Amino acid sequence: MSPRIPDTHAEAWAMLPWLANGRLPASDREWVEAHVAQCAGCRSELEAQRKIATHIHQDNVARDASSATGSDEQRSFNKLWARIEASEAAAPAGGAVADGSVPRISRTVRWLVAAVVVQGFGLALFGFNALRDDSGRFVTVAEAPTERLGAPAVRLVFAPAASMADINTLLTHQGLSIVSGPGSSGNFTAELSADAVASGASAASVAAVISKDPNVSFAQPVAR
Amino acid sequence: MALKSVETSSVRAPASAVDASERELLERIARSKDQAAFRTLYGSYYQRLSRLLSRMSVRREDIEEVINDTFWVVWTKAGEFRGASQLSTWIIGIAYRRALNALRRAKIRPVSDEPFDEESISVMSTDAAETDGQWLALGLARLPVEQRMALELTYTLGHSCEEVAAILDCPVNTVKTRLFRARETLKQVLPALAGMPGENS
Repeated sequence: MSPRIPDTHAEAWAMLPWLANGRLPASDREWVEAHVAQCAGCRSELEAQRKIATHIHQDNVARDASSATGSDEQRSFNKLWARIEASEAAAPAGGAVADGSVPRISRTVRWLVAAVVVQGFGLALFGFNALRDDSGRFVTVAEAPTERLGAPAVRLVFAPAASMADINTLLTHQGLSIVSGPGSSGNFTAELSADAVASGASAASVAAVISKDPNVSFAQPVAR
Repeated sequence: MALKSVETSSVRAPASAVDASERELLERIARSKDQAAFRTLYGSYYQRLSRLLSRMSVRREDIEEVINDTFWVVWTKAGEFRGASQLSTWIIGIAYRRALNALRRAKIRPVSDEPFDEESISVMSTDAAETDGQWLALGLARLPVEQRMALELTYTLGHSCEEVAAILDCPVNTVKTRLFRARETLKQVLPALAGMPGENS
Protein backbone atom coordinates (compact mmCIF):
# COMPACT_ATOMS: atom_id res chain seq x y z
CA MET A 1 0.00 0.00 0.00
CA SER A 2 1.49 3.33 -0.98
CA PRO A 3 1.71 5.92 1.77
CA ARG A 4 -0.67 8.81 1.63
CA ILE A 5 0.83 11.98 0.24
CA PRO A 6 0.56 14.94 2.60
CA ASP A 7 -2.20 17.22 1.42
CA THR A 8 -1.41 20.48 3.07
CA HIS A 9 0.47 21.94 5.98
CA ALA A 10 -2.88 22.87 7.49
CA GLU A 11 -4.06 19.25 7.47
CA ALA A 12 -0.94 18.03 9.19
CA TRP A 13 -1.18 20.89 11.67
CA ALA A 14 -4.73 19.84 12.59
CA MET A 15 -3.57 16.30 13.34
CA LEU A 16 -0.70 17.19 15.66
CA PRO A 17 -2.66 16.61 18.90
CA TRP A 18 -3.09 12.94 17.99
CA LEU A 19 0.53 12.65 16.92
CA ALA A 20 1.32 14.01 20.39
CA ASN A 21 -0.92 11.52 22.20
CA GLY A 22 0.12 8.55 20.08
CA ARG A 23 -3.37 7.86 18.70
CA LEU A 24 -2.88 8.84 15.08
CA PRO A 25 -3.70 5.89 12.77
CA ALA A 26 -0.64 4.38 11.15
CA SER A 27 -1.79 5.43 7.70
CA ASP A 28 -1.87 9.10 8.69
CA ARG A 29 1.05 8.94 11.08
CA GLU A 30 3.43 8.13 8.28
CA TRP A 31 2.79 11.23 6.21
CA VAL A 32 2.24 13.55 9.14
CA GLU A 33 5.59 12.55 10.62
CA ALA A 34 7.20 13.05 7.23
CA HIS A 35 5.76 16.55 7.06
CA VAL A 36 6.76 17.42 10.61
CA ALA A 37 10.29 16.29 9.91
CA GLN A 38 10.65 19.02 7.29
CA CYS A 39 8.44 21.71 8.85
CA ALA A 40 9.91 23.78 11.67
CA GLY A 41 6.54 25.31 12.48
CA CYS A 42 4.91 21.92 12.99
CA ARG A 43 7.82 20.67 15.10
CA SER A 44 7.47 23.69 17.32
CA GLU A 45 3.70 23.24 17.53
CA LEU A 46 4.15 19.57 18.38
CA GLU A 47 6.39 20.55 21.29
CA ALA A 48 3.78 23.08 22.41
CA GLN A 49 1.06 20.44 22.36
CA ARG A 50 3.17 18.07 24.38
CA LYS A 51 3.67 20.80 26.95
CA ILE A 52 -0.07 21.42 27.14
CA ALA A 53 -0.69 17.69 27.57
CA THR A 54 1.85 17.58 30.40
CA HIS A 55 0.33 20.64 32.09
CA ILE A 56 -3.16 19.19 31.91
CA HIS A 57 -1.94 15.88 33.32
CA GLN A 58 -0.16 17.61 36.21
CA ASP A 59 -3.20 19.73 36.92
CA ASN A 60 -5.39 16.62 36.98
CA VAL A 61 -3.05 14.89 39.39
CA ALA A 62 -3.31 17.89 41.70
CA ARG A 63 -7.10 17.94 41.37
CA ASP A 64 -7.34 14.21 42.04
CA ALA A 65 -5.28 14.59 45.19
CA SER A 66 -7.57 17.26 46.55
CA SER A 67 -10.94 16.01 45.40
CA ALA A 68 -12.66 12.65 45.35
CA THR A 69 -11.65 9.96 47.79
CA GLY A 70 -12.43 6.30 48.02
CA SER A 71 -15.09 6.97 50.61
CA ASP A 72 -16.71 9.56 48.30
CA GLU A 73 -16.84 6.94 45.61
CA GLN A 74 -18.36 4.32 47.89
CA ARG A 75 -20.91 6.77 49.21
CA SER A 76 -21.90 7.75 45.68
CA PHE A 77 -22.23 4.13 44.66
CA ASN A 78 -24.36 3.35 47.69
CA LYS A 79 -26.74 6.14 46.70
CA LEU A 80 -26.98 4.85 43.16
CA TRP A 81 -27.55 1.31 44.36
CA ALA A 82 -30.28 2.41 46.74
CA ARG A 83 -31.91 4.21 43.81
CA ILE A 84 -31.70 1.11 41.63
CA GLU A 85 -33.18 -1.06 44.35
CA ALA A 86 -35.98 1.41 44.99
CA SER A 87 -36.76 1.55 41.29
CA GLU A 88 -36.68 -2.21 40.81
CA ALA A 89 -38.82 -2.73 43.88
CA ALA A 90 -41.34 -0.31 42.41
CA ALA A 91 -41.32 -2.01 39.00
CA PRO A 92 -40.28 -5.61 39.59
CA ALA A 93 -41.47 -6.86 36.22
CA GLY A 94 -39.91 -4.25 34.00
CA GLY A 95 -37.16 -2.62 35.96
CA ALA A 96 -35.67 -0.38 33.32
CA VAL A 97 -37.55 2.43 31.72
CA ALA A 98 -38.36 1.48 28.17
CA ASP A 99 -36.71 4.46 26.50
CA GLY A 100 -33.63 4.24 28.62
CA SER A 101 -34.17 7.68 30.08
CA VAL A 102 -33.20 8.26 33.64
CA PRO A 103 -36.32 8.13 35.75
CA ARG A 104 -36.37 11.22 37.91
CA ILE A 105 -37.55 10.06 41.26
CA SER A 106 -40.08 12.61 42.31
CA ARG A 107 -39.63 14.51 45.51
CA THR A 108 -42.69 12.74 46.87
CA VAL A 109 -41.29 9.31 46.11
CA ARG A 110 -37.96 10.25 47.64
CA TRP A 111 -39.73 11.34 50.77
CA LEU A 112 -41.70 8.12 50.81
CA VAL A 113 -38.54 6.06 50.44
CA ALA A 114 -36.95 8.05 53.24
CA ALA A 115 -40.07 7.59 55.34
CA VAL A 116 -39.97 3.83 54.81
CA VAL A 117 -36.34 3.72 55.90
CA VAL A 118 -37.07 5.82 58.96
CA GLN A 119 -40.07 3.67 59.70
CA GLY A 120 -37.88 0.59 59.50
CA PHE A 121 -35.56 2.05 62.04
CA GLY A 122 -38.49 3.05 64.17
CA LEU A 123 -39.84 -0.45 64.12
CA ALA A 124 -36.42 -1.82 65.00
CA LEU A 125 -36.20 0.56 67.92
CA PHE A 126 -39.76 -0.30 68.87
CA GLY A 127 -38.72 -3.92 68.89
CA PHE A 128 -35.83 -2.94 71.08
CA ASN A 129 -38.20 -1.21 73.49
CA ALA A 130 -40.19 -4.40 73.59
CA LEU A 131 -37.09 -6.05 75.00
CA ARG A 132 -37.43 -4.27 78.27
CA ASP A 133 -37.73 -6.69 81.11
CA ASP A 134 -40.55 -6.57 83.61
CA SER A 135 -38.82 -3.93 85.67
CA GLY A 136 -38.71 -1.61 82.70
CA ARG A 137 -34.92 -1.86 82.51
CA PHE A 138 -33.44 -1.84 79.02
CA VAL A 139 -31.58 -4.89 77.85
CA THR A 140 -28.35 -3.26 76.70
CA VAL A 141 -26.17 -4.47 73.92
CA ALA A 142 -23.48 -5.23 76.43
CA GLU A 143 -25.63 -8.03 77.69
CA ALA A 144 -26.30 -11.24 75.85
CA PRO A 145 -29.23 -10.76 73.50
CA THR A 146 -32.25 -12.68 74.53
CA GLU A 147 -34.23 -12.47 71.34
CA ARG A 148 -33.99 -15.01 68.50
CA LEU A 149 -31.51 -17.06 70.41
CA GLY A 150 -28.77 -18.60 68.36
CA ALA A 151 -29.01 -16.23 65.40
CA PRO A 152 -25.57 -14.96 64.37
CA ALA A 153 -25.20 -11.28 65.07
CA VAL A 154 -22.71 -8.46 64.77
CA ARG A 155 -22.20 -5.39 66.87
CA LEU A 156 -21.46 -2.27 64.86
CA VAL A 157 -21.12 1.48 64.98
CA PHE A 158 -22.03 3.51 61.90
CA ALA A 159 -19.77 6.27 60.62
CA PRO A 160 -20.98 9.76 61.60
CA ALA A 161 -21.44 10.76 57.97
CA ALA A 162 -23.40 7.64 56.98
CA SER A 163 -26.85 8.51 55.67
CA MET A 164 -30.02 6.52 56.24
CA ALA A 165 -29.84 5.37 52.63
CA ASP A 166 -26.24 4.21 53.12
CA ILE A 167 -27.20 2.27 56.23
CA ASN A 168 -30.26 0.77 54.63
CA THR A 169 -28.24 -0.38 51.61
CA LEU A 170 -25.52 -1.84 53.78
CA LEU A 171 -27.94 -3.77 55.98
CA THR A 172 -29.94 -5.04 53.04
CA HIS A 173 -26.91 -6.29 51.16
CA GLN A 174 -25.59 -8.17 54.13
CA GLY A 175 -28.93 -9.61 55.18
CA LEU A 176 -28.80 -7.83 58.51
CA SER A 177 -31.63 -6.60 60.71
CA ILE A 178 -31.01 -4.31 63.64
CA VAL A 179 -32.34 -5.89 66.82
CA SER A 180 -31.02 -3.47 69.38
CA GLY A 181 -29.32 -0.14 69.78
CA PRO A 182 -28.16 2.47 69.84
CA GLY A 183 -26.11 1.81 72.92
CA SER A 184 -24.38 4.47 74.96
CA SER A 185 -21.53 4.55 72.46
CA GLY A 186 -23.80 4.53 69.43
CA ASN A 187 -23.46 0.81 68.87
CA PHE A 188 -26.15 -1.40 67.38
CA THR A 189 -26.62 -5.15 67.28
CA ALA A 190 -27.80 -6.64 64.01
CA GLU A 191 -28.76 -10.25 63.31
CA LEU A 192 -28.14 -12.16 60.12
CA SER A 193 -31.21 -13.30 58.25
CA ALA A 194 -31.87 -17.01 57.81
CA ASP A 195 -31.20 -16.61 54.08
CA ALA A 196 -27.81 -15.04 54.71
CA VAL A 197 -26.87 -17.88 57.06
CA ALA A 198 -28.09 -20.44 54.54
CA SER A 199 -25.86 -18.89 51.89
CA GLY A 200 -22.81 -19.43 54.09
CA ALA A 201 -22.51 -16.08 55.81
CA SER A 202 -21.38 -16.01 59.42
CA ALA A 203 -21.15 -13.29 62.02
CA ALA A 204 -17.37 -13.25 61.61
CA SER A 205 -17.43 -13.05 57.82
CA VAL A 206 -20.05 -10.31 57.76
CA ALA A 207 -18.23 -8.33 60.44
CA ALA A 208 -15.03 -8.59 58.44
CA VAL A 209 -16.76 -7.29 55.31
CA ILE A 210 -18.68 -4.41 56.83
CA SER A 211 -15.76 -3.26 58.94
CA LYS A 212 -14.14 -2.20 55.66
CA ASP A 213 -17.19 -0.25 54.57
CA PRO A 214 -16.69 3.52 54.92
CA ASN A 215 -20.15 3.79 56.45
CA VAL A 216 -19.08 1.63 59.37
CA SER A 217 -16.65 2.77 62.04
CA PHE A 218 -16.55 -0.48 63.96
CA ALA A 219 -17.87 -4.02 63.60
CA GLN A 220 -17.31 -7.29 65.40
CA PRO A 221 -19.15 -10.59 65.74
CA VAL A 222 -21.26 -11.08 68.85
CA ALA A 223 -20.39 -14.15 70.85
CA ARG A 224 -23.54 -16.15 71.54
CA MET B 1 14.74 13.10 10.45
CA ALA B 2 13.40 10.55 12.85
CA LEU B 3 10.94 11.97 15.28
CA LYS B 4 11.49 11.01 18.86
CA SER B 5 8.69 9.18 20.54
CA VAL B 6 5.96 11.66 21.25
CA GLU B 7 3.89 9.42 23.45
CA THR B 8 4.64 10.70 26.89
CA SER B 9 3.90 8.98 30.13
CA SER B 10 1.34 11.65 30.82
CA VAL B 11 -0.83 10.50 27.95
CA ARG B 12 -2.71 7.30 28.54
CA ALA B 13 -3.84 5.45 25.45
CA PRO B 14 -6.86 3.24 26.01
CA ALA B 15 -5.61 -0.33 25.94
CA SER B 16 -7.60 -2.99 24.14
CA ALA B 17 -7.01 -5.27 27.11
CA VAL B 18 -8.73 -2.78 29.37
CA ASP B 19 -11.64 -2.53 26.97
CA ALA B 20 -11.98 -6.31 26.83
CA SER B 21 -11.94 -6.53 30.60
CA GLU B 22 -14.58 -3.83 30.90
CA ARG B 23 -16.74 -5.49 28.26
CA GLU B 24 -16.66 -8.66 30.29
CA LEU B 25 -17.93 -6.71 33.29
CA LEU B 26 -20.71 -5.23 31.15
CA GLU B 27 -21.70 -8.68 29.92
CA ARG B 28 -22.01 -9.89 33.51
CA ILE B 29 -24.22 -6.91 34.28
CA ALA B 30 -26.39 -7.55 31.23
CA ARG B 31 -26.57 -11.31 31.78
CA SER B 32 -27.11 -11.60 35.50
CA LYS B 33 -27.37 -8.08 36.94
CA ASP B 34 -24.06 -8.76 38.67
CA GLN B 35 -23.65 -6.12 41.37
CA ALA B 36 -19.96 -6.86 41.93
CA ALA B 37 -19.23 -6.32 38.24
CA PHE B 38 -21.26 -3.12 38.31
CA ARG B 39 -19.36 -1.86 41.34
CA THR B 40 -16.02 -2.61 39.68
CA LEU B 41 -17.00 -0.84 36.47
CA TYR B 42 -18.32 2.12 38.47
CA GLY B 43 -15.02 2.35 40.34
CA SER B 44 -12.95 2.32 37.18
CA TYR B 45 -14.84 5.32 35.80
CA TYR B 46 -15.61 7.37 38.90
CA GLN B 47 -12.36 9.31 38.99
CA ARG B 48 -12.20 9.78 35.22
CA LEU B 49 -15.72 11.11 35.02
CA SER B 50 -15.27 13.30 38.09
CA ARG B 51 -12.30 14.95 36.45
CA LEU B 52 -14.02 15.32 33.10
CA LEU B 53 -17.17 16.80 34.60
CA SER B 54 -15.11 19.15 36.67
CA ARG B 55 -13.52 20.40 33.45
CA MET B 56 -17.02 20.91 32.06
CA SER B 57 -17.69 23.37 34.86
CA VAL B 58 -20.04 21.01 36.62
CA ARG B 59 -19.96 21.89 40.28
CA ARG B 60 -18.47 19.36 42.59
CA GLU B 61 -21.69 18.80 44.50
CA ASP B 62 -23.51 18.04 41.22
CA ILE B 63 -20.92 15.73 39.71
CA GLU B 64 -22.15 12.73 41.66
CA GLU B 65 -25.64 13.12 40.21
CA VAL B 66 -24.36 13.12 36.64
CA ILE B 67 -22.12 10.11 37.26
CA ASN B 68 -24.98 8.19 38.85
CA ASP B 69 -27.35 9.17 36.03
CA THR B 70 -24.75 7.82 33.62
CA PHE B 71 -24.37 4.54 35.45
CA TRP B 72 -28.10 4.22 35.79
CA VAL B 73 -28.12 4.06 31.98
CA VAL B 74 -25.24 1.58 32.02
CA TRP B 75 -27.19 -0.64 34.43
CA THR B 76 -30.45 -0.51 32.51
CA LYS B 77 -29.02 -0.58 28.97
CA ALA B 78 -26.04 -2.91 29.42
CA GLY B 79 -27.63 -5.54 27.21
CA GLU B 80 -28.07 -3.10 24.37
CA PHE B 81 -24.41 -2.17 23.98
CA ARG B 82 -23.45 -3.64 20.61
CA GLY B 83 -19.73 -3.04 20.78
CA ALA B 84 -19.52 -0.82 17.72
CA SER B 85 -17.25 1.46 19.72
CA GLN B 86 -15.04 1.16 22.75
CA LEU B 87 -16.98 0.80 25.97
CA SER B 88 -15.25 3.90 27.33
CA THR B 89 -16.50 5.89 24.34
CA TRP B 90 -20.06 4.80 25.10
CA ILE B 91 -19.92 5.54 28.82
CA ILE B 92 -18.10 8.86 28.54
CA GLY B 93 -20.45 9.90 25.75
CA ILE B 94 -23.44 9.26 28.00
CA ALA B 95 -21.84 11.29 30.78
CA TYR B 96 -21.06 14.14 28.41
CA ARG B 97 -24.65 14.36 27.16
CA ARG B 98 -26.07 14.07 30.66
CA ALA B 99 -23.80 16.89 31.80
CA LEU B 100 -24.76 19.09 28.84
CA ASN B 101 -28.44 18.50 29.54
CA ALA B 102 -27.90 19.34 33.16
CA LEU B 103 -26.07 22.53 32.28
CA ARG B 104 -28.80 23.52 29.81
CA ARG B 105 -31.50 22.92 32.35
CA ALA B 106 -29.50 25.24 34.59
CA LYS B 107 -29.89 22.76 37.37
CA ILE B 108 -26.13 22.60 37.33
CA ARG B 109 -24.51 25.96 37.20
CA PRO B 110 -21.32 26.68 35.25
CA VAL B 111 -18.46 27.79 37.43
CA SER B 112 -16.57 29.35 34.53
CA ASP B 113 -18.75 32.42 34.95
CA GLU B 114 -16.57 33.26 37.87
CA PRO B 115 -13.92 35.71 36.68
CA PHE B 116 -10.39 34.43 36.81
CA ASP B 117 -8.19 36.73 38.81
CA GLU B 118 -5.12 37.28 36.66
CA GLU B 119 -3.58 39.31 39.46
CA SER B 120 -3.43 36.13 41.52
CA ILE B 121 -0.84 34.71 39.15
CA SER B 122 2.65 35.48 40.23
CA VAL B 123 4.63 35.67 37.02
CA MET B 124 7.73 36.21 39.12
CA SER B 125 7.23 32.89 40.84
CA THR B 126 10.29 30.73 40.86
CA ASP B 127 8.09 27.68 40.70
CA ALA B 128 7.61 27.48 36.94
CA ALA B 129 5.33 24.46 37.10
CA GLU B 130 3.01 26.19 39.53
CA THR B 131 2.86 29.33 37.43
CA ASP B 132 2.24 27.34 34.25
CA GLY B 133 -0.52 25.47 36.02
CA GLN B 134 -2.18 28.74 36.98
CA TRP B 135 -1.95 30.03 33.42
CA LEU B 136 -3.34 26.75 32.16
CA ALA B 137 -6.31 27.09 34.48
CA LEU B 138 -6.86 30.57 33.09
CA GLY B 139 -6.65 29.32 29.53
CA LEU B 140 -8.93 26.35 30.06
CA ALA B 141 -11.49 28.51 31.81
CA ARG B 142 -11.69 30.68 28.72
CA LEU B 143 -12.46 27.80 26.39
CA PRO B 144 -16.03 26.89 25.47
CA VAL B 145 -17.09 23.57 26.98
CA GLU B 146 -16.91 21.74 23.65
CA GLN B 147 -13.31 22.81 23.07
CA ARG B 148 -12.31 22.03 26.63
CA MET B 149 -13.77 18.55 26.28
CA ALA B 150 -12.00 17.87 23.00
CA LEU B 151 -8.73 18.84 24.67
CA GLU B 152 -9.38 16.80 27.80
CA LEU B 153 -10.50 13.69 25.91
CA THR B 154 -7.43 13.88 23.71
CA TYR B 155 -4.74 14.68 26.22
CA THR B 156 -5.94 13.23 29.49
CA LEU B 157 -7.94 10.22 28.38
CA GLY B 158 -5.84 9.61 25.26
CA HIS B 159 -8.67 9.17 22.78
CA SER B 160 -8.22 9.22 19.02
CA CYS B 161 -9.87 11.90 16.92
CA GLU B 162 -12.57 9.44 15.81
CA GLU B 163 -13.30 8.43 19.41
CA VAL B 164 -13.56 12.05 20.52
CA ALA B 165 -16.02 12.63 17.66
CA ALA B 166 -18.11 9.67 18.82
CA ILE B 167 -18.16 10.89 22.41
CA LEU B 168 -19.02 14.46 21.49
CA ASP B 169 -21.45 13.23 18.82
CA CYS B 170 -20.06 15.42 16.05
CA PRO B 171 -18.09 15.00 12.80
CA VAL B 172 -14.35 14.35 12.91
CA ASN B 173 -13.64 17.67 11.21
CA THR B 174 -15.57 19.46 13.91
CA VAL B 175 -13.30 17.90 16.53
CA LYS B 176 -10.25 19.08 14.62
CA THR B 177 -11.68 22.57 14.37
CA ARG B 178 -12.52 22.72 18.06
CA LEU B 179 -9.08 21.54 19.03
CA PHE B 180 -7.45 23.95 16.58
CA ARG B 181 -9.29 26.87 18.18
CA ALA B 182 -8.53 25.62 21.67
CA ARG B 183 -4.85 25.43 20.82
CA GLU B 184 -4.84 28.97 19.50
CA THR B 185 -6.54 30.28 22.64
CA LEU B 186 -4.18 28.45 24.96
CA LYS B 187 -1.16 29.73 23.10
CA GLN B 188 -2.36 33.28 23.62
CA VAL B 189 -2.71 32.62 27.34
CA LEU B 190 0.23 30.41 28.18
CA PRO B 191 3.32 32.60 28.10
CA ALA B 192 5.74 29.72 27.73
CA LEU B 193 3.93 28.49 24.65
CA ALA B 194 3.33 31.90 23.15
CA GLY B 195 7.04 32.35 22.61
CA MET B 196 7.68 28.93 21.18
CA PRO B 197 6.76 29.04 17.46
CA GLY B 198 9.78 29.36 15.27
CA GLU B 199 12.31 28.93 18.01
CA ASN B 200 13.19 25.43 16.91
CA SER B 201 13.34 26.19 13.22
